Amino acid sequence: MAGQPTSSKPQVIAPKGLGPFFWPYTLLLTVISLVIAGGILFANLDWLLPGWSNPVTDRAGDVDNLFKFMGVFGAWIFIYVAGYVVYFAVVFRRRADEPANSIGVQVHDSPNLEFWWTYVPIVLLIGLVVMSTYIWGKIFFPTEAPGLTMEVVGHQFDFEYRYPGVATSLYSPKDEMHLPVGVPVRVLLSSADVLHQFWVPEFRVKLATVPGLVQDMNFTPLRTGTFDIACSEYCGVAHSKMQGKVVVESQADFNKWLSALKGHSALQGTVSLAKGDPAAGKTVFAAKCAACHAVGPFDQKVVGPGLKGLTDDAAHPNLVTGKAPTPDNIAAILENGYAGPIGNMPNEQANGLSSTDVANLVAYLVSLK
Amino acid sequence: MEASTSTHADHGAHDHIHPPPEGFIRKYVFSLDHKVIGFQYFFVGLLLMVIAGSFAELIRIQLMDPKGTFMSFSTYNVMFTMHGTAMVWLVTIPLVTGAIGNFVMPLQIGARDVAFPWLNMISFWLVPLSAITLFSTFLVGAPDAGWTEYPPVSLQQGVGGALWCLAIILVGVSSTLTGMNFTVTVAKMRAPGMTWTRIPLFTWATFSTALINMIATVALSAALLALFLEHAFNVPFFDSTRGGAAVLYQHMFWFYSHPAVYIFILPAFGVISEVLPTFARKPIFGYKMIAFSGLAIAILGFAVWAHHMFPSGLAPWLQIPFMILTYAIGIPTGIKLFSWLATLWGGRIHFTTPMLYCLAFLITFTFGGVTGIFLASVPADLHEHGSYFVVAHFHYVVAGGALLGFLAGVVYWYPKATGRMMSERLGKLSFWLFFVGFNLTFLPMHWLGLEGMPRRYASYEYFAKAFPDSVFWNQFETISSFLMVAAVAIFAFNILWSLRNGVPAGNNPWGARTLEWMIDSPPPYYNFKKIPTVLARPYDFADPLPYLNLDHDVDPYPAPTEAALQPARARA
Amino acid sequence: MATTTLTGHAAVEARYNDVDPVYAETRDMRLLGFVLVLFSDCILFSSFIFAYLYLRTSAPVWPPFVDGHQLPRLDTAFAAVNSVVLFGSGVTMHFALENWKNLKKGAFNMWMILTIILGIAFLGGQAHEYLSAQMTWQGSAFGASFFTLTGMHGFHVFVGVVYLTVLLVQANRGVYTGSKYFGLTAGTLYWHFVDVIWVLLFYLFYLW
Repeated sequence: MAGQPTSSKPQVIAPKGLGPFFWPYTLLLTVISLVIAGGILFANLDWLLPGWSNPVTDRAGDVDNLFKFMGVFGAWIFIYVAGYVVYFAVVFRRRADEPANSIGVQVHDSPNLEFWWTYVPIVLLIGLVVMSTYIWGKIFFPTEAPGLTMEVVGHQFDFEYRYPGVATSLYSPKDEMHLPVGVPVRVLLSSADVLHQFWVPEFRVKLATVPGLVQDMNFTPLRTGTFDIACSEYCGVAHSKMQGKVVVESQADFNKWLSALKGHSALQGTVSLAKGDPAAGKTVFAAKCAACHAVGPFDQKVVGPGLKGLTDDAAHPNLVTGKAPTPDNIAAILENGYAGPIGNMPNEQANGLSSTDVANLVAYLVSLK
Repeated sequence: MEASTSTHADHGAHDHIHPPPEGFIRKYVFSLDHKVIGFQYFFVGLLLMVIAGSFAELIRIQLMDPKGTFMSFSTYNVMFTMHGTAMVWLVTIPLVTGAIGNFVMPLQIGARDVAFPWLNMISFWLVPLSAITLFSTFLVGAPDAGWTEYPPVSLQQGVGGALWCLAIILVGVSSTLTGMNFTVTVAKMRAPGMTWTRIPLFTWATFSTALINMIATVALSAALLALFLEHAFNVPFFDSTRGGAAVLYQHMFWFYSHPAVYIFILPAFGVISEVLPTFARKPIFGYKMIAFSGLAIAILGFAVWAHHMFPSGLAPWLQIPFMILTYAIGIPTGIKLFSWLATLWGGRIHFTTPMLYCLAFLITFTFGGVTGIFLASVPADLHEHGSYFVVAHFHYVVAGGALLGFLAGVVYWYPKATGRMMSERLGKLSFWLFFVGFNLTFLPMHWLGLEGMPRRYASYEYFAKAFPDSVFWNQFETISSFLMVAAVAIFAFNILWSLRNGVPAGNNPWGARTLEWMIDSPPPYYNFKKIPTVLARPYDFADPLPYLNLDHDVDPYPAPTEAALQPARARA
Repeated sequence: MATTTLTGHAAVEARYNDVDPVYAETRDMRLLGFVLVLFSDCILFSSFIFAYLYLRTSAPVWPPFVDGHQLPRLDTAFAAVNSVVLFGSGVTMHFALENWKNLKKGAFNMWMILTIILGIAFLGGQAHEYLSAQMTWQGSAFGASFFTLTGMHGFHVFVGVVYLTVLLVQANRGVYTGSKYFGLTAGTLYWHFVDVIWVLLFYLFYLW
């Protein structure tokens, strides 16, 4: 079987035109693509992407429009490519009675064809880029100010929900995250230990909780209901058990729920700042503040600024409406929290500080020269 | 680059034929021959594929039940970690570069071996060494944070995590050396007359892959070295309480791991570009575009890594450039796809097993590419990231792309490597089992992911409450996956059975035109007694073969032989 | 090819080309291979430099704080002297190779030994820098980046010192000739590479 020079010149067997029934077949592929496109654009795909026919959040509708565009685009590409693979394989198959040295049309290129199949996809992809960027802008640079700002902290293996004015945190799965319908919400995400991901599929929102970083997520829920939250970044052995639920309810119901929580954490009277104990304050600092603040100059940021020399260092900006950081003003920030250009700090109730804690903390912070 | 024909034939370094290797150890264990090394990579890679595939089957069995009681959660997590790690670094890369790259490329360029045979041997032996290191972690607590091993969670593992880093650094050295070796081989050892635009497309693909291997793998070694230092010496690269950053690891890791997927796929693209012309009996359409788009993909591939990090803590303004570049890579890929389609048009197609693999590749790889378009868009990715949609996408492009291309190459070059044809009947059977099994296993993952099923979940109980159908689909996927097991078993049997019982192949059973088909099957240890001269590209079937000074007299118009046109018959 | 009538640079070139073509091709390939290995070594350093840049630019203050105190900046003056030592060894290495090419074996030996001594001196300087550093490897991103990057570099210098010593021994055993000295070329390239990396590291840690 070693190649014996038989030297019979090969025979070219060429098709007539582009091939038998090429254009009718192309029409068939077009019709199939149109049917699939129609399905993607007009059918109810709630079974595939829950909320398809009735978006749960403002961005869900936008993201689903992206899916529609990509679905139609992708379906066309796939139907044509797979369709022509099958057609060419059938139509240009070697027949059993052909000589062994039959060959096909010896064509090397076609500048015309290459032009179209390079530039048409470029145009389509530019369209996708533009649409994606527009929706990305709406997601990451919202124009409306949030009506509710809250925090979600990832832990191994639950989500912690922190609301403004609520002393104790809520924890999944025992507790649910509540949101008022129709109100733009800003969720600040961080992690206490490893990477997690906060995903609510029906909202079409997902963002990682990263230790040492605060990411913010903005959206507006549009209808009421209960929706699943799942952790979608491997975070340890019980990753598959890290889920929660988010309940979207009317504003009236939400306010009722929130006050019921707040009501449990009323301050137990006030304590004079003069009675604050720096040593006790140091313990509170380590437990409640050290995760976000270091004992150092203002620039030594962990999540929030460094807290050394608050009363002495002129470099500390005057945070409380332009006033210098006196003990009373420091106490005010601890009590009321802070939301401004340099970030967000939860108030005393969110941080679980009693007024004794506040007094002790002030004494400690003032002692840090 | 152009070597003058007359003086080169007199003085070339590759004109020097060294004496044959003596003794079993020299011939088969510590061999310097690229062909033997190719075999070694092949058999080790296949063995590791069976091991890693078994881990996958254990995963699939667990997923039959949403409660996930078949294995403990920590065992399950170890299974997907070791499956991914082994498949990426110990199976795919060694097989596509070390096995077929090593065996075929020097033959295609008319060389007697690669540029640095000693380094080639070391590159091979690092693979079993790395595998032993990796699997030794089962004794001390195997890593469980996925093949990506993100800190901080991966730092919570014990010494298994540190050993994982070492194992992958070892195989990374193997890859880097191979990349350098192949780059120098293609650049410096081509036969006289083989200009850059006459190089066969598998060699072009191997060259582009070698560039990536050489440049990207070291970045992986750096990422894993940093992770190892944090494991072993508590050095805070990724610990945010001491000034490190978890996201930093992702940048360092993905800077390599995205180009890595082009290491998987480019050699498979190269195989397609050889097999289609041979079995359609016409030139590859758009040779230059295919060659240069491979280079473009290799280069652009370095610029898209952060598309794996869209939800992870990337500054938002960075997401858009990475999205745009990711879409841009679709263009050269599309050019290749359409050129391959045009290669089929007007051909005389032979439905041999390699051709079937190629046709299947065109379908499944396109599908995987389309789902890639879904993933590249930032807002859509924020829904799909970390879900089964991603798992579906990468299995379609890696198993439905790189693996199918690789299998096509194995069946295509098996006659050259062994002198025998593989059984066509068994070949077609294993092909169909694999193609059907693969699609049935991975297609449902697309909709499960879009519905909201997260990946790396040992138990999907909560999801099954909302989507009870998911239990059916997971069970469906598991049953279907056993079709792939059967396919691999039959394929492996075919490989071994045909060594003794395959129809003798002759030098050129497929009627192909690249240089490797001009010499004996299997080739002598020195490949070419006389280094041939190349006059033109090899893909013009209407022209006589464009070579001078071949070792044998060959038919200037090679056609597929009887051995290729009939299914192989078993020996009595 | 007669070299007796040529002198200087022309003679060097003539000797370089007066080799059998088999060796010439091998040398060509080895040179390309070696350069590519050095290039991938660049990528190794670049990855860690990227890590340092990332950590430094995302830190709110630099040098960072450890245990409430800001870490001091590094001693630029001492490192500058040590850098001069290293760059000096690059110059001496250059002369060593030039002398070899011009068949001046005695001078080659002298410059080579000087290079090795300067390399060892640099390593000594780095040891002093490490012992007197105020930060620890584990304490902060500063220590992590500094010790890892300069440690990798120092390891490369150490390997280089060993390599150059081996080359010196080989040269004196007659392994290399006036025409065939690829090992010496590779050694010189490696040593210059180590110098170039140090320029970058010196700027990044001491000047910036």
